[in-house]
Amino acid sequence: MPSSEVHHLFHHPIADHSFSADRQTLAVARDNNVELYARSGGKFALQDELRGHDKTVTGVDIAPRSGRIVTCSQDRNAYVWEPSPSGWKPTLVLLRINRAATSVRWSPSEAKFAVGSGARVIAVCYFEEENNWWVSKHLKKPIRSTVTSVSWHPNSVLLAAGSTDGHARVFSSFIKGVDPRPEPSTWGERLPFNTVCGEYLNGTAGWVHGCAFSPRGDALAFTAHDSSITVVYPGGPDQPPKAVVSVGTQVLPLVSLVWTSESEIVAAGYDCEAFKFRGDEQGWELTGSVESKGRPGLTDQREESALNMFRQMDLKGKVKDDTQLNTVHQNTISTVRSYAENGGSVSKFTTSGVDGRVVVWSL
Amino acid sequence: MSLVNYRTINIDLLDPESSANFDLSTLTPSVQPVSTSDVQTLAGQIPQLLRGGDTEGALRGALENAPYGADEKGKETHLTTVTEILQSIRQADMSPLLQRIYRSPNGPETLDVLMKYLYKGMASSSSSSHSTSTTNSTNKQITPQATSGFSQIHARNVGGDGGGQAMSVLLSWHEKVVEIAGAGSISRVMADRRTV
Repeated sequence: MPSSEVHHLFHHPIADHSFSADRQTLAVARDNNVELYARSGGKFALQDELRGHDKTVTGVDIAPRSGRIVTCSQDRNAYVWEPSPSGWKPTLVLLRINRAATSVRWSPSEAKFAVGSGARVIAVCYFEEENNWWVSKHLKKPIRSTVTSVSWHPNSVLLAAGSTDGHARVFSSFIKGVDPRPEPSTWGERLPFNTVCGEYLNGTAGWVHGCAFSPRGDALAFTAHDSSITVVYPGGPDQPPKAVVSVGTQVLPLVSLVWTSESEIVAAGYDCEAFKFRGDEQGWELTGSVESKGRPGLTDQREESALNMFRQMDLKGKVKDDTQLNTVHQNTISTVRSYAENGGSVSKFTTSGVDGRVVVWSL
Repeated sequence: MSLVNYRTINIDLLDPESSANFDLSTLTPSVQPVSTSDVQTLAGQIPQLLRGGDTEGALRGALENAPYGADEKGKETHLTTVTEILQSIRQADMSPLLQRIYRSPNGPETLDVLMKYLYKGMASSSSSSHSTSTTNSTNKQITPQATSGFSQIHARNVGGDGGGQAMSVLLSWHEKVVEIAGAGSISRVMADRRTV
């Protein structure tokens, strides 16, 4: 029985959210700032604010081990925030992009992070000790349009990116001196920087919203604006993929997704609720909503008395109050993230959306 | 210096990396070019199926062979074919027919194609009722509908009952398709780069 823990932080859209490794701190992107919330009891209370960007913040990510926070914004900048005795200390990262930054993620090794942008480049940033400075290298070819999302492979070298040109791509972001030489994988053997390991299109070539590698990293899933989710199983270096499975759904487009195991995906988007998908190379299918409809407390909130009925008719001109959605989120879900893992599969995940809610779901 | 109005310069053309300087067609799924005569051959075969009473076969045949690679004229011809089939199916038969198509292999994709034709049909509301009689509507095509301020009223007058009826058929199909294939099929029509 799935349960949820709802935190309604404010009445503003949350562009992105991230939890610290101990899950006691929550960072959410709100307008031009990032707000840090600390867990106290069953609630989250505002603790700190990271001010520095002067346009809407589009991405925030907390590195699980080092605790550093990276943020990116439509002002074309990224900051790395480090804890210091006098509060959070920002370091500006020169991305060298001339359009908004759209998303940011730390690599699993935490030595690099990737920033997707509207300038048709992905900036891969790493710290140069000798200059005491974050440096960015651009993944450029063959991106033809805005990069909407970036997602790392567990080996911290391969990077998946979804773009509004309808393609989901897998790049190598290998940086000498930063990354150890990666093990040859099904995506490729030699991986110099900007190797395109895969370029995938779904049936309609609708623009891609979110992408993610499977936990082991041997498959890539992406959601697109045609309400579909596509899973790609690569067939080895320079080979066509073993299988490309596309599921067109009946729901509104899905924006973000997370693999909960090698055979399960949770995705959410414009339908304001999260959906479960299950499958393998032979095929994938939507198995249902994560939410159980008809939760207790959803319908019996209002007393069904004649007095109430006439009062509603008098106040609102109608009997039923239909301003509430049937779902926990009351608006588009923009980010889905893993929250707790149990024996290699995700047992809890979080969603945040335009309605200012962050919800922790138990599977 | 002041003679050059810098605001009117299209800077995208001067930037070698600008999106204006590459061929966007390489980004879209490749479609097989279809000649207009092939479309017309198909348009000739479909009525035979219809006369034989096989409306489902006719609809499936028309939707599964949607000419993505055809030129405007070919696409227009095929739209007429599909519209004719849709008009020949009774209201009561719509839902069972769509259910059968949806459950069959590739059924969801077939309904997505149907949705594309419904939107195309509604977009060209006047042409859908006139494309069957293109010869006598030449004078109507000359009238500058897009620029006249009364294009809506104009189209309605010209379309008369025929246009309104075609629209109501398309709308009732639209309702039934959404019932079965969900809002996802509408978003696929908008996202799909293979147009009908």
